[in-house]
Amino acid sequence: MKKVLIGALVFGIIATQAFAADTIKIAITGPFSGGSAPMGASMRDGAKLAIAEINAAGGISVGGKKMKFDVIERDDEAKNERGALIAQELASMNGLSGVIGTVNTGVCMAGDKHLQEKGITKIICPAAGSASMTQWSKAGVKDLSIFRFAAHDGIQSAMVVEEAINRKFTKVALFYDSTNYGVSGRDDMLDQIKKQGNKLEVVASEKWNIGDKDMTAQLLRAKSAGAQAILIWGIGPELAAVSNGMAKIGMKVPLIGGWPLSMSNYVENAGKNGNGTLMPQTFIEEPITPRIKAFIDAYHKAYNVKQIPSPVSAAQGYDAVYIFAAAVKQAQSTDTKKIKEALEDLKEPVKGVIATWVHPYSKWDPANEETHEAFRREQTVMGMVKDGRVVFSSNADRQRIIKDETAPKGK
Amino acid sequence: MSASGIAQLIVSGALMGLVYALVAYGFSLTYSTSKSINFGQGVLVMFSAFCSLTLLNVGVPYWLMVPLGLGIGALLGLFVERAAVRLALEQKSEGWILLTIILGLLGFSVAENIWGRDDRPFPTPLPTESVQILGVSISPMEISVAVGVFAVMGLIELFKRKALLGKAFEAVSADRDAAELMGVSATRTVMLSYALSGGVAAMAGILVSPITTVGPTLGSVLVLKAFSVAVVAGLDSGFGVVLVGMCLGSLESLTSFYVGSGWREAPGLVLLILALAVRPTGVFGKATIRKV
Repeated sequence: MKKVLIGALVFGIIATQAFAADTIKIAITGPFSGGSAPMGASMRDGAKLAIAEINAAGGISVGGKKMKFDVIERDDEAKNERGALIAQELASMNGLSGVIGTVNTGVCMAGDKHLQEKGITKIICPAAGSASMTQWSKAGVKDLSIFRFAAHDGIQSAMVVEEAINRKFTKVALFYDSTNYGVSGRDDMLDQIKKQGNKLEVVASEKWNIGDKDMTAQLLRAKSAGAQAILIWGIGPELAAVSNGMAKIGMKVPLIGGWPLSMSNYVENAGKNGNGTLMPQTFIEEPITPRIKAFIDAYHKAYNVKQIPSPVSAAQGYDAVYIFAAAVKQAQSTDTKKIKEALEDLKEPVKGVIATWVHPYSKWDPANEETHEAFRREQTVMGMVKDGRVVFSSNADRQRIIKDETAPKGK
Repeated sequence: MSASGIAQLIVSGALMGLVYALVAYGFSLTYSTSKSINFGQGVLVMFSAFCSLTLLNVGVPYWLMVPLGLGIGALLGLFVERAAVRLALEQKSEGWILLTIILGLLGFSVAENIWGRDDRPFPTPLPTESVQILGVSISPMEISVAVGVFAVMGLIELFKRKALLGKAFEAVSADRDAAELMGVSATRTVMLSYALSGGVAAMAGILVSPITTVGPTLGSVLVLKAFSVAVVAGLDSGFGVVLVGMCLGSLESLTSFYVGSGWREAPGLVLLILALAVRPTGVFGKATIRKV
């Protein structure tokens, strides 16, 4: 038995080394089980779809040789400590070209330092919490190998406030959960209200704890204060409890908030009470252009589903792989440090399903996290819940995306 | 704030409070016969709710699911009694405290592995439009909670007072040794009380799930509140828990309205401390003299 084991081990080492020579080793990490699984699994499946396409076309030619992607998957179960272990494992892996993934900001905070230490290139996707990038600027890191490919909370809160102003509201209520995510979201929104000219008066600021399902008191406070809209930051089925409570007390004002409102645990649990709820999205599962239709159809076919569990995560995973592939091609190397340099200065535009990415990243500047953030306001649209799906809330966004595909413009 | 607004707060809170009361009632059932309680009662609520949801998903009609779900709850209650309580009681040890907590943790991870960590909607045949009663909007699900809680508790109290087995129940609560001497099997009665307690937990799960959705953490919040209710009311009081439950529920709503939503949990905890300091046997509890 021992001999067999040693034999297998030796063979394994030889096999992986032989393998490593002509493949691009890329790790995909995220929660593939548990509460955040819809996001993690959609991201992984979107990314693997892109990888399958690249591999089917023969791979990327690096130094005159066609190289295919070789995927390493790790499930972090949305647990910080698992994320840290996985990051340590990946950081000590031989010949790893890069990492794509992570859904939970806490997992980023726990694990990314190990990757940064070894200079392993990582594209965070789709964790949106501001802290996962600001931690590096606060530490004053000079050379960063961590990039992000997601509409971060700063953009999202700006859009939420902007939407309320555009709808000519003057009095709003802020609702948030007592987690880090909820409280920092409230601060972001208050910041944005100030930045956008103090046009909104916050008439109620209400909090709930994870597990609270009766929101009557908070809603009555908002209602009696005359709130015209509820701006909400939170995660999980409590969001649905807010919508259901509004229906109960006959409060008919729009609910506008962060992107967790697009997730199935809100959409399904709120049912028809969720109709009209607005949230920022980077991708909407509507086949409005041939490119988007091809992606949606391919996803449905490959994974045998009628609806992508988290379209935003899937599309971001898909585009992140194409951007990574473009960096490999430009670097003409599978060395993770060379790929990082290429990512910071991508010469060719990358055609993705969300947008055409023109120079998405630039050289890291600790004073400006946006250098390693790919998304700007232009790549983000407002989504709206309608009968169990998320659709475009404004036709203008839809038209803009159709136009963008025919005439890509830089940012 | 108008009078109808205050009424709305009180009614909504009281209806949530009834669910705390039902879970607390599960505590008092087993406490009265064996002076032991299942610290994993919240997991029992969650587990039976998940089982009932699974029954619905395989096509069992709602009205058949309710008795089946209650049956599952009763079986789970019996399992808890056999696995965690009986031996400890026979040895007159307090081992049941740790054992019921451990069983609860085990049940929690089993549920997580079978059904996942997602919260899921629990279908209900009731309409979702709320009705107006004297300016207070109440959803049909909330009405079903009130009806269900009173029906279950009424039936069990009636059973304890009228049926022969029920009288055995009362006898064991009054004096275990004397009841044994009169030919009442205390072990069987304790088993019965755990089965009833499990059934009550299942009922709470079925009633509250359409409002709260079902997830592994369904019971965790409920059980803490229920524990406060049981202690404040007195662990051996039957209908006392209803009154305390409703008061606690309304107090919570009123506090989060007038003081702030961050203070929602405060009244329950303050009441718990007050009760333990001033009246350790509970507001409705009987002060018993322990003869040495």
